[in-house]
Amino acid sequence: MNSSAPLLTPRLGLAALLKASFKPLRLAISLSLATLVAVVLNPIFETSFLSVLGRTVFVGVVVLLAFDIAGHWPLRWVPRWVAQLLAVCLAAPLATMLAYLWIVNGDVRNFLQHEGLISGFMFISAASLIVALILALGVLYRQRDHQARAQELAFALERSTLEKQALDARLRLLHAQIEPHFLFNTLANVQQLVESGSPRAAPVLQSLIAYLRAAVPTFSEQNTTLGTEMALVKAYLELMRMRMPDRLEFSVDWPAELASLRFPPMALLTLVENAVHHGIDPSETGGRILVEAREQAGAVEVSVTDTGVGMSETAAPGTGLNNLRERLRGFFGNAAQLQMLDEPPHGLKAVIVFPKG
Amino acid sequence: MPTALVADDEPLLRERLCGLLARLWPELIIVAQARNGREAVEMFDEHAPQIVFLDVHMPGLNGVEAARSIARRAEVVFVTAYEQYAVTAFEQGALDYVVKPFDEARLADTVQRLQQRLARAPVGDDAKLDAVIEKMSAELRRRVTSTGWLQWIKASVGTSVRLIPVEQVAYLRSDEKYTLVVWEGGEALIRKSIRELADELDPERFAQVHRSVIVNLHQVSQVARGPNETAEVHLKGRTELLPVSRSFVHVFRHM
Repeated sequence: MNSSAPLLTPRLGLAALLKASFKPLRLAISLSLATLVAVVLNPIFETSFLSVLGRTVFVGVVVLLAFDIAGHWPLRWVPRWVAQLLAVCLAAPLATMLAYLWIVNGDVRNFLQHEGLISGFMFISAASLIVALILALGVLYRQRDHQARAQELAFALERSTLEKQALDARLRLLHAQIEPHFLFNTLANVQQLVESGSPRAAPVLQSLIAYLRAAVPTFSEQNTTLGTEMALVKAYLELMRMRMPDRLEFSVDWPAELASLRFPPMALLTLVENAVHHGIDPSETGGRILVEAREQAGAVEVSVTDTGVGMSETAAPGTGLNNLRERLRGFFGNAAQLQMLDEPPHGLKAVIVFPKG
Repeated sequence: MPTALVADDEPLLRERLCGLLARLWPELIIVAQARNGREAVEMFDEHAPQIVFLDVHMPGLNGVEAARSIARRAEVVFVTAYEQYAVTAFEQGALDYVVKPFDEARLADTVQRLQQRLARAPVGDDAKLDAVIEKMSAELRRRVTSTGWLQWIKASVGTSVRLIPVEQVAYLRSDEKYTLVVWEGGEALIRKSIRELADELDPERFAQVHRSVIVNLHQVSQVARGPNETAEVHLKGRTELLPVSRSFVHVFRHM
C-alpha cells in the first residue's frame, strides 16, 4: 500500500490503549524514575523505603497513562501537546492524593491533621510533577523531531519523483519523435514523385527537410518558439496532404506578432498528429484540420480543430496527451492549460492556453 | 490475361505500384484501384481479379479485414510500411508481402512467385493462410485503444462541450436531475446520473462513497471517521469535505 492511500485514523479501545502505553521501554523508564524519586526522598520520610517506593511507582504509572490517554483523545480545540502536558500536571498531584487517601483509608480528616502526611504528599507530588514534566517535554520533543524528519523525507521523495518524471518525459520525447511508419510511408511517396519526375518532388522534399530538422532530437529545446512550432506543423501537414490529397485539407494561421513567443517543442505537433491519426485517418472521407493561434486578454490560445471522426468517451487518452500535459507544466508551470472540446457535428478541438510573456 | 486489384489509401503509392507492375509484368491488367478496404471488397466482387495487392493500413475496413472477406478467392499480397508485427506474421505464413518503400527488385521477386502460383493451379487451399490472417486480424484489433471504461466526461461549459479526462475529475455529486462534475479546471453539470456513472467509471479509480457522491480515489488525501460509522473524505488541494455514508465506509476499510 503506498503512502498516499487514504487512512482511517485509528480509534483505540481501552485494552489496546493500555497495551500501547505500557510498552516495555516506557514502563521501564517510568518505573526507574519512580524508584529514583523514592531513593532521593526516602531520607526525609519516616516510613519504610518500600512504602515510599509504592507511592512513587503508583504515581509514575498513572502519569504515564494520563499522558497517553491525552495523546489519543480526539481533540478539536486544543493542540495535542498542550493536552498532554496539562494531563501530566493534573495527574501527578491527583495520583499522589489518591495514594495518600489509600494510606489513611479515605479518612480525609486524619490526613489533614497529620503534618507528616501532608508534607509527604507535598514532596511526592512536587517531585513527580517536576520529573514527569521534564520527561513529557522530552518525549514531545522527540516526537516532533521524528515528524519533522519524516516530513523532510516525504519532501525529498516527492522532489526526486518529480525530477524522475521530468527526465522520463524528456526521454520519451527524444525517442518517440519520428515514427518509422510515418517516415517510411512518406519516403515511399517521395520516391514515386522523384521517379515519375513530378515537379512536386522538390517542394515536398523541402517540407520533409523542414520537418526532420525540427523533429530530429536536439538539445537546444529551450529556444523553440511558437513560430518554429507552427512551421514544423505546417511542414508535417504538407507531407500528410501529399499522402492523402483526397482526404486531408488544412490551414495553418498565426499572427506574426506571436511568432517569437517561447513554446515547448513538439507540443503542437503532438496535437496535430493526434488530429491526423485519430480524427482524419480513420475516416474514409477524411476532413479538415485548422491550426490557429490568437491572443485574447493577455493569454495566447493555440488550437487544433479537426472535422474527423471525433473521440469516443471510452477512448484511452494515450500517453501522447498525458505526456503533453506534463511538458506544458514543465514549460509554463501551472499557468498553461490543455482543453479538449467536442466539435459538432463530428470532430475534436484541442486548445492550449498559456499566458503571454 | 492475368488480372489484379490494387488497394491503398495513398494515391501516389497506388500510382507507384501500378507503374512498377506495368514495367515488370506488362500482361497484367489492373482492373481496379481501391482507396480503402470497403472499396477493395466491392471492386473485388465486381471484377473478380486473380491477384489482390492490399495495403494493411487503410481507413474503415483495413487490409487484413478485406483479405478475410476475399478469403481464398484470389492471391493476396500485402503491402505495408514498417509494421514489424505484420512482417513476422507474414514470414511464418504462406502469404506474400512487400514492405514500403519497396524497390523494383523486391517487387520482381513477388511477381515471379505470383506467376508461378498462377501457372500451377487455382488458388491454393493452404490452411496456413487463414491462420495468418486470423492472427494479424487479432493483432490489429488488440491495437485499438479502447478500455471499455469511461475515459472522458462530456460537459457543456458555456457554448462549447468540454471533454474532461477522468483522471482530472476530483468528484461527482448528484444535483437533483443533473450531476455536478468537479475537476482541476472547474465544475460543470452533466445529464448523466450518479448511478449510470458508477457503472461506467473504472472501479479501480472511482468509488461511490455516498448515494449521491462518487470520488476519484487518486485524489483522496485522507478519510476521517465521523459519528455513527460514517466518515468524511478530504481531497488533495481542496477544502470541501465529502460525506461517506455508513453503507460505503467499507470502501476505505482495507486501505
